[in-house]
Amino acid sequence: MTPAPLRAHPLGDSAVTIVFGAERSVELLRRVHSAARSLEAAKIPHVDDVVPAYLAVTVFYDPRNASYEEISAKLMAACDRATHSSARSPKSREHRIPVRYDGIDLEAVATSTGLSVQDVIARHSARAYTVDLLGFVPGFAYLSELDRSLHLPRRAQPRPRIAAGSVAIAAAQTGVYPLDTPGGWHIIGSTQTVMFDPTRDAPALLAPGDTVRFERVP
Amino acid sequence: MITITRAPPYMTVQNGGRKHSRAFGVPRGGAMDTFAIRAVNAIVGNSLDAAALEWALGGGSVRFDRDCLFAIGGATARATLSGKGVAPCTTTFARAGEEFTVEQISSGRFLYLACDGGFDVPVILGSRSTYLPGHFGGHEGRMLRSGDSVALGARPTTLPAEGFHSAADLMPRYDSAIVHITSGTQEDSFDESAWRTLTESDYRISTASDRTGYKLEGPALGNSLGMLPSEAGCPGAIQIPGDGLPIALMADAPTIGGYPKIAVVSEADLPILAQRRPGESIRFQLITIEQSQRALKRRASDIHTISQLASRSSRG
Repeated sequence: MTPAPLRAHPLGDSAVTIVFGAERSVELLRRVHSAARSLEAAKIPHVDDVVPAYLAVTVFYDPRNASYEEISAKLMAACDRATHSSARSPKSREHRIPVRYDGIDLEAVATSTGLSVQDVIARHSARAYTVDLLGFVPGFAYLSELDRSLHLPRRAQPRPRIAAGSVAIAAAQTGVYPLDTPGGWHIIGSTQTVMFDPTRDAPALLAPGDTVRFERVP
Repeated sequence: MITITRAPPYMTVQNGGRKHSRAFGVPRGGAMDTFAIRAVNAIVGNSLDAAALEWALGGGSVRFDRDCLFAIGGATARATLSGKGVAPCTTTFARAGEEFTVEQISSGRFLYLACDGGFDVPVILGSRSTYLPGHFGGHEGRMLRSGDSVALGARPTTLPAEGFHSAADLMPRYDSAIVHITSGTQEDSFDESAWRTLTESDYRISTASDRTGYKLEGPALGNSLGMLPSEAGCPGAIQIPGDGLPIALMADAPTIGGYPKIAVVSEADLPILAQRRPGESIRFQLITIEQSQRALKRRASDIHTISQLASRSSRG
């Protein structure tokens, strides 16, 4: 199937969002990340930052030196080339993250899903997840895809503070809160693993495309 | 060095923020009023991205531990140096040991204090800015407390003259109630009436407003889409959550989010919004991307003018 044509729209006067499609899919996300890597590699003048997301890549630029028309034309051309190139994705890494399943929502998740607490733990720790994206707060990785029996909507009332290291689930995803932050996901456990360290060369532990397994520890 | 002798309720070290780490989920952060911080740096002869103090919510005092040419700007404050009044956007010379006091911030929200040489805190992810939610950047990743000392950079060899003053017509119109916005961002998610409501109503800054975002109170906008797959946002993006009341994202806003965005505040006018207090009102006015970029270039050229005038004053 031929991919839908790309569309660009401005995000304010200093960013362009390039939309790759309307529906989330593994294939679309792969194209988004591939384009984001190409845009980074292309070193287009006046580009500050390249931010991939589920359906789109957003590029921040310096509008004092490049107009929206100029920069979006260059970016669209670079994305087109990326789509047609067969460049390999970078080698993805595998991570094992030890988790204590002691989260405050664990019982409630069991009740809502009709599973036992042991089943919730077993199903969450049984599979390998893929890093879809980093974002929201530094080092937060959206991991897919959660066992279907564990899918729950976000909590109606987000909590004002979730502790760093909390392992949580929402809808088809799971993740680890890298720092204390408000959040609406269901907390099922905690980890000591440092997800983000701004003084490291690679500040975020996880990168898009990486694989993550959660290992139960007592 | 500068020592905080009586910390205000909020004080952090900031500069222009982090412009190359969003893909790790790191927000731009940096000064809430990106114009004022560059202006006060320009006035004291610093590089525009030097670190300065961002000061809010009340008075406090700091002591200069070395001779220092300094300037304040952004919010309007009643301020003194060793008991004598300090004028805004004007270089003032402090001798080592003198104390600078803000008695009260009388209008606006964020006051900036720049010292010659800038504040010498570690550069983390390309910036000296404090990112409070992540506990990194600035001074130990936190707000400054009474008793803290922060190092200053080396004094430049030539300094602007004492009493150098930046003309008011080079500053944003902070008293303007108009904040310009651009469209183009998920605008199709909103119908004509939502646009009319957004641009024809007064919106009041809610008490739920901080460095992450300003919740706005006023007529709700109809929005049928709910959450969308997460996509990049930016400071100034106006998102519409389920209750239809706009939230303007600010410096520390998350890099990506799922609420539909109807518009983005013009970068040139973001300082005007940032300086609005809870209870104060604004009205949004739509302009084109080209107009918005022109306004931003004008701001950059005004800052450049201040820098040049400051540098010329030293020879006068």
